[in-house]
Amino acid sequence: MNRIFRPYLAGLLAAGWLVGAQAAGTLIREVTIHWPDRAASVADVRIADGRIVDLGTSLEAMQSEEVIEGAQLHMTPGLVNSDTHLGLEEVSSLAETRDYQSDNPTITAALRVSDAFNPSSLLLLQNRIQGLTHALVLPESGGSLLAGQAAWVNLGATPDSVENPYVGMVVSLGETGQKLAGGSRAAAMALLREALEDARDYDAHRSDYVRGERRSYSLSRLDLEALTPVVRGEKPLLVRIHRAADIRQILKFAREQHIRVVLLGAEEAWLVARELADAAVPVVIDPMQNTPASFERLASRLDNAALLSRAGVRVLFTGIGWQNTHNAYLVRQAAGNAVANGMPYREALKAITVYPREVFSGHANPLEEGATADVVLWDGDPLEVTTEAIAVWVDGQRIPMRSHATELRDRYARKYHLVK
Amino acid sequence: MSWKHAITASALSLVLMACSDHNEAENKASAQPFPATYQSHAKGDWVVRHATILTGTGEQLNNADLWVHDGKIAGIGEDLDVPEEAEEIEASGKWLTPGLIDVHSHLGVYPAPATTSHADGNEMTNPVTAEVWAEHSIWPQDPQFELARAGGVTTLQILPGSGNLIGGRGVTVKNVPSLTVQGMKFPGAPYSLKMACGENPKRVYGSRHQAPSTAMGNMAGYRAAWIDAQDYMRKWQRYEKLKQAGDESAEPPKRDLRLETLAGVLKGEILVHNHCYRADEMAQMIDLAREFGYKITAFHHAVEAYKAAPMLAKEHICAAVWADWWGFKQEAFDMVRENLAMVDAAGACGIIHSDDPTGVQHLNQEIAKAMAAGRAMGLKISRAHAIQWATLNAAKALGIDKVTGSLENGKAADIVLWSTDPFSVYAHAEKVWIDGARVYDRSAPEVNHTSDFNLAANVAQGGAR
Repeated sequence: MNRIFRPYLAGLLAAGWLVGAQAAGTLIREVTIHWPDRAASVADVRIADGRIVDLGTSLEAMQSEEVIEGAQLHMTPGLVNSDTHLGLEEVSSLAETRDYQSDNPTITAALRVSDAFNPSSLLLLQNRIQGLTHALVLPESGGSLLAGQAAWVNLGATPDSVENPYVGMVVSLGETGQKLAGGSRAAAMALLREALEDARDYDAHRSDYVRGERRSYSLSRLDLEALTPVVRGEKPLLVRIHRAADIRQILKFAREQHIRVVLLGAEEAWLVARELADAAVPVVIDPMQNTPASFERLASRLDNAALLSRAGVRVLFTGIGWQNTHNAYLVRQAAGNAVANGMPYREALKAITVYPREVFSGHANPLEEGATADVVLWDGDPLEVTTEAIAVWVDGQRIPMRSHATELRDRYARKYHLVK
Repeated sequence: MSWKHAITASALSLVLMACSDHNEAENKASAQPFPATYQSHAKGDWVVRHATILTGTGEQLNNADLWVHDGKIAGIGEDLDVPEEAEEIEASGKWLTPGLIDVHSHLGVYPAPATTSHADGNEMTNPVTAEVWAEHSIWPQDPQFELARAGGVTTLQILPGSGNLIGGRGVTVKNVPSLTVQGMKFPGAPYSLKMACGENPKRVYGSRHQAPSTAMGNMAGYRAAWIDAQDYMRKWQRYEKLKQAGDESAEPPKRDLRLETLAGVLKGEILVHNHCYRADEMAQMIDLAREFGYKITAFHHAVEAYKAAPMLAKEHICAAVWADWWGFKQEAFDMVRENLAMVDAAGACGIIHSDDPTGVQHLNQEIAKAMAAGRAMGLKISRAHAIQWATLNAAKALGIDKVTGSLENGKAADIVLWSTDPFSVYAHAEKVWIDGARVYDRSAPEVNHTSDFNLAANVAQGGAR
């Protein structure tokens, strides 16, 4: 079998632990489990046939089952970064490897990133071996305000990696929207209002429209079709937005239009925390973003996450900064920093595990009996920067802990005799 | 030791310096315009008690004290005897390290907010702009300086960007609040020259159908510049010789700022900090330096430094790297998280750098990740050793290791007191001192200077806090 038992890892591994082997099943004993729905505690976990089949104490090892002694280890649900371009870019500077943005102004809501998603991207391997099992994959506004449909994917790197091709419609407001709308935030709001009202009218008069007996619309038929779930309140508008004043406007807009919204960026959201909590609007933030990087982010601060969470807002994470795709797994470090700056530990962990699943996917709890195994074993506190992932299950599969980077490391470590 | 090499004059430059004793007044004016006005005024004694101290020299002292007198470190050890009037700071459970040093920063030259009004880091009007000086672009009110201070960063090298083959002079500054950049300049620190390999310069100029547009065009560009610099030096030498021989009619050559800086490198007075990702390009740059008789102090970004590690060790060149950034360009595709640890294991000088306004606030976390990745592959790396990646090694690469970068008697009291193990994500810099002056205190907001830019921000935010 495909065993990559590195000699220098031997010290880390308990006897009988076969790295990378897909044995009959795996029993992890006495591991500290960070439950989605209750305080962390020590338990035994059995994973077989891609599922968590047993959770309990003093589970007996079955024949030919791999046993991992977990006394020093921690288990969490697989991590999620809620704002990435995973599968949509390989080398950022090479336009031919980038698919998250179209400058064509006639392509708007109808763009589906899942049509371009590449499950063979090397980025998936590098991120999943650090414990990232899922990601939200977003288009960006290029030629028009509406960027298209975001997808929910796993990092199994299989043809089935896209679990849901449409979990929300992305729109950019703020400075980006202002520019795309011709130079005013107010123009951007007018365009968005028109798009949604056209979609609503189209939804109510489809057959008239097809017969040519309805007024003309600002968007194409495919775009209107794609917006229908948004105006029906079935899918959220994912709004890239930064300034507190702009956030207040979009909250008002959402009320008027009876639509659901999720905010992306939202550096000044802490100033609007109560309104966001009252409206039950989730936010996706980078908790390490604290520089006044633009005039629409002057109030950025390190305790944005803590203040939002204290107010009762459901907070999801991305980061760190623009390394949110090649290093999407660093969302774990971002979560640790949120804790360092006042966010309760469990909330921060949920921001990269449970909440994104609740908001974007049906499977909110990967740590219950019968759930598909999307879990990570860590050699220490899951939010600590010196902690490493040592085993990862994605969509039921124990993944090999290999990537372009690990192969390079091993080649040059051997070449220069750096490890025995 | 490697880095010392970097600031030691080569044989060639010794000759040249001997020739340039002349014309003292004129040379002085040209050698040190825009002088540093920064001065430390810290007086008196204070002592930090019972801390875990990472000295920056490879040692960890447990339950130890550190005594500062008039801005300089006066003693380190257990149960230090200090003057009675010394202020006592109890630090049991806390950690003490040298102030962190970021050798690759664009704070001030690419300040926040990132507006077109302030995008002053890259003079992309010619592939060789050795004549520009980063210090002339620094906006001292950049509100990012104080954020870096809160992250324990006491010294920064501010560099021009990498759009050019030769981007200009970098400058080393103390991270102190100041109205002027002169008030931040690190007294006595040598200047640096920013050079860039690879994709950036050829992309910038190639897209304008100008040279360089290829890797070979890059090399031709550097060589042409160094040939001009050699020629310029010869003209000055000829003049100095005539003067020395008593020729009153000898006319000095016209100063050329571009070539003056390049000549400073050839004389060993200005340190070369070379943006370079790929191992094969590092080898080209080393041969280039040899052709013209200068020394490369550090390769920056150096995503493939681990491939070049033995070569870097042999040539005494530091690698200043990120912990994990990759993939934004093809030359940054072969990243390994173990890069810094592997460079270190091969005996070369490893440094963490940020090149980023967020990263600079968390350099301690970056070295923690680099250490953890190295340990996971089986390398033995202590915290006491790894802290050097952001302290003493960085000071060596900037030519300031005689005065800062480690906690040793007589050195500047550039110090960070951490709430806990600085290799933890939960650690905060609690107090930061520069030359013995407390410039940041997490529990005393009145100590923490804020930029003019930030004034009234709280009011405008609706009095929310």
